[in-house]
Amino acid sequence: MTQTLKSTRFGDVELADDAIVEFPNGLIGLRGTRYALVPHGDDGTFVWLHSMEDPDLALPLTRPWNFFADYEVELSDSEAERIGVSDPSQADVYVTVRATGAATDFTANLRAPIVIAGGRGYQVINDAGDPPVRAPLFANPVG
Amino acid sequence: MLMMTRRAGQKIVLGDDITIEVVEVAGNTVRIGVTAPREVPVYREEIWTAVRAENEAAAAAPRDLPLPPQR
Repeated sequence: MTQTLKSTRFGDVELADDAIVEFPNGLIGLRGTRYALVPHGDDGTFVWLHSMEDPDLALPLTRPWNFFADYEVELSDSEAERIGVSDPSQADVYVTVRATGAATDFTANLRAPIVIAGGRGYQVINDAGDPPVRAPLFANPVG
Repeated sequence: MLMMTRRAGQKIVLGDDITIEVVEVAGNTVRIGVTAPREVPVYREEIWTAVRAENEAAAAAPRDLPLPPQR
């Protein structure tokens, strides 16, 4: 079974049912609760979290370990209870990417990762260390 | 903004399901306890504001992400 996503970036996108993710609390500061994961390009480094309710709303995500080998996710008891996941390593974890301007300026939000399990997603606050909201993905190229 | 004054030990109730308690007042800090249904997220405001800004910035990404050339 597939559904069609309408996107101002990508036109009509066919989605498998398992690409759809319900966010009961939405994303922080953004409207909407129904999203879909849409691949970007061929190599799987980035994926779009695309709103199914707003054709213009899409955020690039990446798996944090693509860029931050030591990344850890720790949730407070209340966050773990809110999302129904006590061990984030058992879920799919992504981080949003600020991807405007040059690639060397791309940053990931390590403070508020996206945790997806069983077709439901939550944006959570990570209590491990003091993770930045803007962590550069690409080191400055050696001149 | 609704303003009210509380002493340590006093509470505020939002709707029927959320209670905020002033637990302790010490110098410049206030220890606040929040009781809310499990599905209600509770954030320190500065974190919420920073995350919202990053979400809005991420949502501004163009369809062709300019990735750096492979080394």
